[in-house]
Amino acid sequence: MRTHRKAAGLLAMSAAAMAVLLSGCGTEKSADNKTVVEIVQYKPEAVKAFEALEEKFNATHDDIELKIDSPNDAMTILKTRFIREDYPDIIGIGGDINYSNFLDSDMLMDISDYEGLSDIKESYLRNAEELEFIPMDGVYTVPYMANAAGVLYNRDIFEEHGWTIPETLDEFYALCEEIQKAGIQPLYFGYKDTWTCLAPWNAICVDVADSDICSQVNAGSATFAEAYRPVAEITKSLLQYAQEDPVAYSYNDACTAFARGESAMYVIGSYAVPQIRSVNPDLNIDSFVFPGSNNADENLLNSGNDLQWSVMAGKEDKKEAIYTVLDFLFEDENIQTYLDDQSAVPCKKGDFELPSMLDGMKEYIENDRMADYQDHHYPSEMSVDAMIQTYLLDDSENALDTFLERFDTEWARYNRDLIAKVRKYYEEHPDSNSEGGENA
Amino acid sequence: MKSKGAQERKRTFLLITIPVVVLFFCFNTLPLIRGFLYSFTNFKGYGSYEWVGLRNYTDLFGDARVGKSYLFTFKYALVGTILTNVISLILALGLNSKIRAKSALRGVYFIPNVLGGLVIGYIFSFIFTYVIPAVGQKLGIGALSSSILASAGTAWIGIVIVGCWQAIAMNTIIYISGLQTVPEDVYEAGSLDGVTGWKKFKYLTFPLIIPFFSTNMVLSMKNFLMVFDQIMALTKGGPSQSTESISYLIYQNGMSGGQFGFQSANAFVFFVMIVAISVFQMTVTNKKEEQL
Repeated sequence: MRTHRKAAGLLAMSAAAMAVLLSGCGTEKSADNKTVVEIVQYKPEAVKAFEALEEKFNATHDDIELKIDSPNDAMTILKTRFIREDYPDIIGIGGDINYSNFLDSDMLMDISDYEGLSDIKESYLRNAEELEFIPMDGVYTVPYMANAAGVLYNRDIFEEHGWTIPETLDEFYALCEEIQKAGIQPLYFGYKDTWTCLAPWNAICVDVADSDICSQVNAGSATFAEAYRPVAEITKSLLQYAQEDPVAYSYNDACTAFARGESAMYVIGSYAVPQIRSVNPDLNIDSFVFPGSNNADENLLNSGNDLQWSVMAGKEDKKEAIYTVLDFLFEDENIQTYLDDQSAVPCKKGDFELPSMLDGMKEYIENDRMADYQDHHYPSEMSVDAMIQTYLLDDSENALDTFLERFDTEWARYNRDLIAKVRKYYEEHPDSNSEGGENA
Repeated sequence: MKSKGAQERKRTFLLITIPVVVLFFCFNTLPLIRGFLYSFTNFKGYGSYEWVGLRNYTDLFGDARVGKSYLFTFKYALVGTILTNVISLILALGLNSKIRAKSALRGVYFIPNVLGGLVIGYIFSFIFTYVIPAVGQKLGIGALSSSILASAGTAWIGIVIVGCWQAIAMNTIIYISGLQTVPEDVYEAGSLDGVTGWKKFKYLTFPLIIPFFSTNMVLSMKNFLMVFDQIMALTKGGPSQSTESISYLIYQNGMSGGQFGFQSANAFVFFVMIVAISVFQMTVTNKKEEQL
């Protein structure tokens, strides 16, 4: 009898322990009765800026406690938390396919009544809207920071040789030849990290392919084989100006090489600058828009929503506190704090001090000549980056056709559910524009 | 009186077992069953999802990328298992003989197992990318002058080298403990019959350590099939997607990508395969076991 009771006690104890383990934390109020607002944002490199902002906020607000998490690999952490149905209040993620998926899974709150939205530049709101698989009512994200991708160049090397910024594709090739003649490595790639293959790819896409090409393909009115042929050709042509064996080197290696002046240019985004500066803080970096087209007017700056805030669904009871936090983040002074720490472009209208490495792109930013990264529309499990790497390494004669054909078939396979959904939507709403989001 | 004592003992054993069984069920069996259920959905890992029946499984067999990852993983596991067992058996024979600084050497050979897979991976990645090509260029050896991780044809060799380097440590220890169970009098009897060298190993040592051999085969096959750390650190599945292992693909597309349902199906198929392979290995080697 006694042992039976013991057994029952043990079982109950282990059950209780399990319950504690599984329940997780559901407390909404901190110990001193403040409303807790939890942000998880996906840029670990900005952790210092956000720590400063968090401290500043908590020092000035008595009723709200702000917690900002900046984990490594935040997207995996977020998804793991979502599986457990453990949601933070605000998520700071990029304007990419993950945002589209979260939105499509009804996980985000409509924040069209947030007043700060009117201060955001149009093109960034449009970027966010284009990420909707099927047109949605309402607004689900506030763009915070954008980045710009193109070509970073070593200003000192350029000035020394009197080289100027190219405006067309032919001028760019000519410049590369000239740099090579001067005995300097024109480009350096870190293609071992497959995602870096997308940097030139995206920058060329905005110049020579339609920005809504993915929606067009989903709706059945275009193929990638046609739209991406020039993009693929130009991407491969860059290899002749790069170091030998670009897939042997990682992103870190490439950043380090560029920082040490081993190459004159580096086709990557502004997000690489903090990394480069960590190797060589004195490097004089500027950037220019990748001229993918021979018609200079067609060339656009590749700029996308790098960090945008979305509120999770079901947080209506905390809305006021959440909006207070957003207001705080969008205060000019606090945006400048972020800008000084990271090389970014603010999505808010206004007069901000842009980092000097964006000098060559300023004209495009001010005139709103920008288009989003195409890879923001690619499903990550399709691994387009690895496909591009495969294509770049493929020396066979029909490499280009193989790659383009594969792109179309894999796209159809990985987006099967989505394509079915989109086509069904347009069948039910024949009056809506079947080309997806409209572009200015 | 006696039977009561026996019952008491049984109850104690039961008390020890039940919490473990409960824990095992909650953290191992339950997730497995849930994963199996998800494999019939188009679940992305979050949000709403629909049941899609056997579609994930039929897709699995038509998916070139999954097929390639199975081919790569099995090629890697086979080569890795053979190399590891051959080298560690030789090492164990050496370290079990009467040589100087035996214990110190055993300690040194065990270090790779203590270090984390990622740490080793990053160190080797540096060696493959910078050190070996530099040496190769100096000596004018064409094959070594560029990183073996950069070519789709040779990258897997790099992963095999790192995987074996690390796996050999544990296997050697197991073989050493196996060799120590072989009684000296067997060798004495053998030497009277004039058995030496290779014959001594083939007819005396090896049959007596077969239980350890089978443990090592199963363990290293399983570990090599689940290869993940080394790929994460060395190649990230590249170049040209030539080194995507099954585990890597499941993690990459199931967790970071939105294929939780599909990769659950993949994981389940993989699980069944590993169980089948292990059972097969056990039955084959068990038949060859010698008892003294």
